[in-house]
Amino acid sequence: MAHSDSAAIVQITDEEIDHICEEFGNREGAVVQILQTIQEKYGYVPAEILERVGDDLGIPHSKMFGVLTFYSQFYREPRGKFILKVCVGTACHVRGAGLLVDKIKENLNVEEGENTEDMLFTLEPVSCLGSCALAPMAMVNGNTYGKLSGDKMVEILRQIKDESSAEPVSEATPAS
Amino acid sequence: MVKLTVNGKEVEVSAGTTILHAAAAAGIPIPTFCYNPRMDPAGSCRICAVELEDSKRTVMGCITQVVEGMKVLTESPKVHEARKTNLELLLLHHPLDCPICDCGGECPLQNMSFSYGGADSRFESHRNDELEDMKSEVLVFNSNRCILCGKCVRVCDEIQDVHAIGFINRGFDTVIGPPLGKKLDCEFCGDCLEVCPTGAITDRFVRYQFRPWQMEKTETTCTSCGSGCRMIVDTESEAIVRISAREGLGPNEGSICVVGRFGYNAVQNKSRLESPHFKRAQRLVPGNWEEILPKVAAQLASISSSGEGRVAGLISSQLPIEDAFLFQRLMRQTLKSNFIDSDARQGLMNMAIPLVSATGSLRPLVDHEDIIAADMIVVLGADPAAESNITGLAIKKAVRKNKAALYLIHGHDVSISTRAREVIRLLPGSEESFLTMLREALSSGTTSLSPEGRQRFQGLGASPEAVDRLLSDLRASKRTVFITGRRFHRSDQGFGASMQLIRLMAERNMFASEGSGLFVLPESGNDLGVLMMGATAEWLPGLLDAANAEQRSVWETHWQTKLPSGGGGLREILAGIEAGEIRALVSFGVDPLTFLPDAAQIRKTLSKLELLVVVDMYQGPLADMAHYLLPAASPFERTGHVVSAEGFVQPLAPAMAPWGLALSESEIMLRLARHMGRALPFDDLASLSSEVFRIFPDLRPSTRNAPYFQGGTGEILLSVPRTQPPHKAQRESVLARVASFVKADLPATVSPASVSSSERPENSFVLTLSKSINHAGTRTLLDSNLMAIEGEGFLKVPRSWARKRKLKKGACVLVSTHHGRISLPIDPVAGLADGEVHYPLHFADARFMVLFPRHLSFNAQSGTQSGQAIDVTIEPIA
Repeated sequence: MAHSDSAAIVQITDEEIDHICEEFGNREGAVVQILQTIQEKYGYVPAEILERVGDDLGIPHSKMFGVLTFYSQFYREPRGKFILKVCVGTACHVRGAGLLVDKIKENLNVEEGENTEDMLFTLEPVSCLGSCALAPMAMVNGNTYGKLSGDKMVEILRQIKDESSAEPVSEATPAS
Repeated sequence: MVKLTVNGKEVEVSAGTTILHAAAAAGIPIPTFCYNPRMDPAGSCRICAVELEDSKRTVMGCITQVVEGMKVLTESPKVHEARKTNLELLLLHHPLDCPICDCGGECPLQNMSFSYGGADSRFESHRNDELEDMKSEVLVFNSNRCILCGKCVRVCDEIQDVHAIGFINRGFDTVIGPPLGKKLDCEFCGDCLEVCPTGAITDRFVRYQFRPWQMEKTETTCTSCGSGCRMIVDTESEAIVRISAREGLGPNEGSICVVGRFGYNAVQNKSRLESPHFKRAQRLVPGNWEEILPKVAAQLASISSSGEGRVAGLISSQLPIEDAFLFQRLMRQTLKSNFIDSDARQGLMNMAIPLVSATGSLRPLVDHEDIIAADMIVVLGADPAAESNITGLAIKKAVRKNKAALYLIHGHDVSISTRAREVIRLLPGSEESFLTMLREALSSGTTSLSPEGRQRFQGLGASPEAVDRLLSDLRASKRTVFITGRRFHRSDQGFGASMQLIRLMAERNMFASEGSGLFVLPESGNDLGVLMMGATAEWLPGLLDAANAEQRSVWETHWQTKLPSGGGGLREILAGIEAGEIRALVSFGVDPLTFLPDAAQIRKTLSKLELLVVVDMYQGPLADMAHYLLPAASPFERTGHVVSAEGFVQPLAPAMAPWGLALSESEIMLRLARHMGRALPFDDLASLSSEVFRIFPDLRPSTRNAPYFQGGTGEILLSVPRTQPPHKAQRESVLARVASFVKADLPATVSPASVSSSERPENSFVLTLSKSINHAGTRTLLDSNLMAIEGEGFLKVPRSWARKRKLKKGACVLVSTHHGRISLPIDPVAGLADGEVHYPLHFADARFMVLFPRHLSFNAQSGTQSGQAIDVTIEPIA
């Protein structure tokens, strides 16, 4: 991955983690839900947090790590503010999703699965987003963009960048 | 019972048996990779496929239970086809790097591939070529060779209960390793290495240094602690290359700890003594046995002829019973002195004297099997996993499998703390008070503690709620095992606490009820045996009272000699030397300068000796002062028998030739007696063994193996029990004595000072010494492998204290007492008793000992050194 910006690494206190675990009754069986909740809140599951959850639930760290790495939904590294889910499923593929991905890579200077240097974007090709009629399509943090071309995509990225820098500095925004 | 046939052979087994075990009962081997007889079956490797003749189906032998009339075929064409296909799949990504793999030659996967026709495959794929995980200094994880049977993960979970490694990722990408990409951080038992059916986990210490078929194997017993582990020593050209356990062998059943498995380098360290030395012009000069022994003998003879009690002797409790028996006979009969002692006194005498007077035996009433079957286990002042690793495994198993109620009454958290129902943190030196109050509360009959009672327990730092639970569990329990260890035995209150504990157990009728009892953890391999053989001043062989003329006459008749009376242990020996009455000291492997404080004063005392003979493997501080320094053979170079904590009497076997000119201690004793013209009636160690076994038939060798061994392709082999004398004490004879012990009044002991933990100033603590799992005594500091695992002592301080001062692991603090001060690196840990810090005893050298008072103090009743806990002030170094 690209260099992670230190400002993007979230600070979470042990108490917050204990609180989340308590919400699920510190149940061993709720480990996946707890990890999901943590990831929803912080974007990824940092190593120290994983250990803390294990200690709270009485699950050995080796088992916690097994769960975390078993599911592809969990991330162990910080991710960008915007997740670019670019569909490379069959329909999008025949309509040139490959070219679209190449264009994004070139524009943002990232490889697949990587974050941009400013931690704004994460490029994540996905298999199918279920909107084949809009092919080639992509999703950015829940917003759908259809019938894309390389240039259209670049324009969307520029817009997102502009809007993001206009916003007041929030917790997850990298200090520059 | 269920009847079935395996390959046409009829067998009858109990319902619920698996095909694998039914076949083993019929003597028919079925190969396995993922199966281990001590663990629940997983059925993941699919190599144990067998055919059911009627249904023509193949099923997995390790997980399929037998049914009436089943016809199992283990070698049919269909089975061979299934196994071959399975191997093709298992080897699909395997790198086939057997020529450079340490496992090659003893690899079940290789053995199977060889018998099923090589590694060619109908499938095409790539060979794995990931880099090995070399982060750990101890084990190397090679994911390429792994077949993902999960046996290593399960052994770590189910037997060691350490959970250090797990499955990482999913599907083809799955690898085995420690979590979060960290380096392996565990107890380093190496059981994963042992059970791995391929070369996926290898021993980094001897990587690429051996080929299994070139090594000679010797089965022997480990003497590092009281567990009595049976192990296999692999040697090549008289050097130990590695040590392993064998599945099912010995009371350890195939597990050994880090010290047993990796601690074999100290005995082949360059600092081992090669030849006998004598002092000339203040220097120890090498010589040979022929010139030195007659001189030693002549001096000993002349000093001992000047009267009784002129010579004193010390013997290490790692030496076999034969040596201990001979030692006391040499000292008492030949040298006419009862000034004899063993280092077993320091670790065990506080418990041994009350135990022997109460039960007449040092052998336990319970063993590991009883611990596993117990419904309640109370661990008093012990870290079982570190002090007697296999006992620790038994406790973990009791909690995991049988939901035993575990109570840990100790100063700080140890590895079993997390399994305990309650951890009652007790400051050092309050054990007797605690047990006295516990006894009172139990006999009062009320269900919960009175307000005063609560307050008194609180005064000791113990939580009254936890004590309440302990009391109610104790009342309900049918099979209770008490386990005592180092901290309990060495406590200033150790003697009184042992008296109280035995009384409590007698009052609760625990000596009478089967499965209940006291399990004492000795500190080294033959503490029990050395005491049973009479190597301390208190007892003659067979634990007869040496101070009692009537009991002495038993041996006087036997040996046709008059035995000296009086005498004493280390305390009396030092006083006797100081007073000039004891003129000679012979030490067989005991170095008081390494464990007593104020070495300078003791050196001054010892310098008054006319003759100091030191028999040891290394040149320690005491050896520097010796007039004669004689090289001793290590436990790996000699024969003999040692008594384990469970009471098993197990043999040592020579795995390598003696180091240089080294001789076993008993050989040195026999030669000395011969040179003195008072030869003892033994030609060699073998005749000595048979004499010991003739006198003590119940000390003839005994052991316990697991019900099953495992062969070269993982097949199950039945272990056949042999007839042997019982290893446990006999309840009937114990009961008779306990009754009269309870009737006698308790000797007045020091009234327990109330310890108040709450009024401690901020930086003031009680410092205690603890045993590390990675070391045994101080000799393991010479072991390069164990030093690579733990090479430095850290002062364990409360995490909250360190956090407040922003101190991390390795930061140095200044530790001071009234007597001295030193700086020590710290390791912040959780779970310490309020106001306690502890330091590994192995690293407590002379520099550390300045913290302790200059004068020696001993327990009045047992002569055990006391004052091992001390108030300290700890300050960060700015």
